[in-house]
Amino acid sequence: MPLDRRIVDEFVGVLGAADVLSDPIRTRTYECDGLTGYRVVPELVLLPRTAEAVAGCVKVCARHGVPFVARGAGTGLSGGALPVADGVVIGLNRLNRVLEVDVENRRAVLEPGVTNLEITAAASPFGLYYAPDPSSQQVCTIGGNVAENSGGAHCLKYGFTTNHVLSLEVVLPDGSLVTLGGDSAEQQGPDLRGVFLGSEGTLGITTKITVRLLRTPETMRTLLADFPSVAAGGQVVSDIVSAGIVPAAVEMMDALAIEAAEGATGAGYSLDTPAALVVELDGTAEECDDQFEQVKAICDKHGCTRLHIAGSPEERANIWRGRKAAFAAVGRISPDYIVQDGVVPRTRLSEVLDKIAEMADESGIRVANVFHAGDGNLHPLVLYSEANGEAEQAETLSSRIAELCVEMGGSLSGEHGIGTDKACSMPRMFGEEDLEAFHRVRAAFDPDDICNPGKLFPTPRLCGERPGKYRPHPLEEHGAIERL
Amino acid sequence: MTRAAPTTLRPTTPREVRDAVLDTPGRLAVAGAGTAADWAGRLHDIDARLETTGLTGVIAHNPGDMTVSVHAGTPLRDLATEIGTHQQRVALDAARVGRGATVGGLVATADAGPSALVYGSVRDLVIGTTTVLADGTMVRSGGHVIKNVAGYDMAKLLHGSYGTLGVLVEVVLRLHPVPKATATVAVEGPLQAAAEHTARLVQSPLEPIACEWVSGDPGRLLVRLEGGESTLHLRVARLVELLGDGAHEVDESVWDEHAALTAGGPGPGGDGGDTGGPAVAPDGAVLRIGAAPTRLAPLVAELPATAVTAGLGTGVATVTVPGAAVAETHDAVAAAHGTSALRSRSADLDAPAWGPAPSGLPLLKAIKNRLDPDGRLSPGRFDPWM
Repeated sequence: MPLDRRIVDEFVGVLGAADVLSDPIRTRTYECDGLTGYRVVPELVLLPRTAEAVAGCVKVCARHGVPFVARGAGTGLSGGALPVADGVVIGLNRLNRVLEVDVENRRAVLEPGVTNLEITAAASPFGLYYAPDPSSQQVCTIGGNVAENSGGAHCLKYGFTTNHVLSLEVVLPDGSLVTLGGDSAEQQGPDLRGVFLGSEGTLGITTKITVRLLRTPETMRTLLADFPSVAAGGQVVSDIVSAGIVPAAVEMMDALAIEAAEGATGAGYSLDTPAALVVELDGTAEECDDQFEQVKAICDKHGCTRLHIAGSPEERANIWRGRKAAFAAVGRISPDYIVQDGVVPRTRLSEVLDKIAEMADESGIRVANVFHAGDGNLHPLVLYSEANGEAEQAETLSSRIAELCVEMGGSLSGEHGIGTDKACSMPRMFGEEDLEAFHRVRAAFDPDDICNPGKLFPTPRLCGERPGKYRPHPLEEHGAIERL
Repeated sequence: MTRAAPTTLRPTTPREVRDAVLDTPGRLAVAGAGTAADWAGRLHDIDARLETTGLTGVIAHNPGDMTVSVHAGTPLRDLATEIGTHQQRVALDAARVGRGATVGGLVATADAGPSALVYGSVRDLVIGTTTVLADGTMVRSGGHVIKNVAGYDMAKLLHGSYGTLGVLVEVVLRLHPVPKATATVAVEGPLQAAAEHTARLVQSPLEPIACEWVSGDPGRLLVRLEGGESTLHLRVARLVELLGDGAHEVDESVWDEHAALTAGGPGPGGDGGDTGGPAVAPDGAVLRIGAAPTRLAPLVAELPATAVTAGLGTGVATVTVPGAAVAETHDAVAAAHGTSALRSRSADLDAPAWGPAPSGLPLLKAIKNRLDPDGRLSPGRFDPWM
């Protein structure tokens, strides 16, 4: 049902006609995020240029009960920015200024549409950087990172978005503008900043973010090591942890994932190895070199068949290019695929991978594995062919993998979020009392349920539907984003 | 109307906590070991006191995963001993850990110590919680894995809630390895000089774990490093060189003195514990303040503080001021865009616990109203805000 003309006029009154999109040809651009199987064309797309304009739009929504969905770059992989029928999308891309880089206090003040990589670009002339590095960092925005509490390959040592955000200016679902958090980590009462972070756009819209910046490490050492089995690679990770070493990143790929990544990038991965491990250390020169020798010895001990040490920043970049391209690259070996994001306790990695292999064999669907081995975050890539009628089997397998992670003491999602995609699996991880309490928190922020409704919580309507097949996001087709 | 003296409840399982909350009419004060009993606003109109000190022990520790789940009444000090045998630790060095503070109490008071510079506050170490709400609802959030974005992060809501939103019964923490070696370098000097040292230090690649100025005559800056057995001395040498004349390595026991000064000494609660340290003056009050790091030193300098520990890298300081100066301290901190909270104070001191209310106060009230609509839990902690 189209929005009442008077409501549209109110939005135009706030933004001006040029920043209100209603032409279906233009609003269709916003019909999905990175989870392209779900699509809904919004009634209107609003493109505010200031925090006050965002608040103005939300006030109109609140007054008339119009549901709204905030959107950054649309790279999310869980359908968190999927529009709501009869609702509006509020795009934050025009709030894209780096407002301040405060070198002495090592922080930056940002508008939500600034991309993750632009933060480090603005900070690096001062020897500083922003630590969380989701693989889509070239295009994903800090506002979206806040909504999803994004991680990345380096969060084992450095933590997630929540560990790097000092304060947020947010527009609440009633249109009021408040600041959560402050100039230091010292809080005045409960950590509402922390509650808001990772709430997947269901509690309000971020309009300004103050992040901590870290000093660029003095030294970085990266190695790529091949192993005769995923289990041997897993043992290396265990031994590194037991030695008291906290690597900046530890990533693993299995043969199928390597085949795809190497085919796409020619980054120098071995095509005949069952498993490859990327280990990166950083820190002061003395500590880093000392620990790097220990890591090399641990690799040898577990039957490493090839050890490649990045000898230059270019070689390091090449190793990471291969790793980060793995998702998009499976398109070379399979017409369609689904990315999963489950987490298990790290010590159960081998066990969960064996079970995934068993489940894959049973269903006749192939699964390639790329994962953050240091923190147990799996990204199984379920490979299938829509044309051969495998979509439903693949969907079932994918959901079973996520739920298996929960059964093994882990989580449905390590970094992509619940969104639309995994909402129906939430009862596997949380009990009725848990979900009811989440609802109460949500109702405190959004009593009228207009702020990104239908996400995160299971709903009968959603959980009765099946998504369409995966289709590459336009940005992905143009090579602007990768999936991690 | 006079109120009967509050009864004390001491449940020993999460289920008993739920029963205690459901079966006890009236208002409940939630308490841990009592090491922060007089922090924040004063409790009032209490019918019963619910202590978590019977709720102790490790539920699960898997050293390979570097996570541990504990009952919330477990003293962190005891937990540290237990996991220390695996060369693991909870990277939290809040001043009152040595006095027996519980894990749940540390979360509820959002406490942190000098190493927050690198490891953050408790909020950065908690990966899961189980909480009993005022109506007996038992809520789990997070889990046992470090990386997890499923569901709302209730741990953050409980962090700094001072017992007003629920009773923490279980907490899951991420662990860090015990460093192979630690060292501390000190340099004597007043606050301003320490701030200048810190400015250079944080731009260096030396990765200090803590960077604290401790008041005295003239006071001194303490910088702690962690690293490998065979390599740390090299970095200590670089640090001494960076800090210049007078910088020298000192014994790690300086941090016990730091903790005693931060705690304000044996407080009116009478739980001075085993770290000693100077007592709070009879009319004194201890405040915790936070500000942008570069604003902290000038802010502290203008306060009538008699004792100070100042994290010049984190922007968080603990100051002891005369009781009559509490309100003006809140004002000065607010003027510097900082935050302040009253910690220990003398029993008869009537002083505001908090500075000006944050803009999120209506939201805080809405959350309180949804989780504890009858205002049963720990009334008074956020006076005068709510």
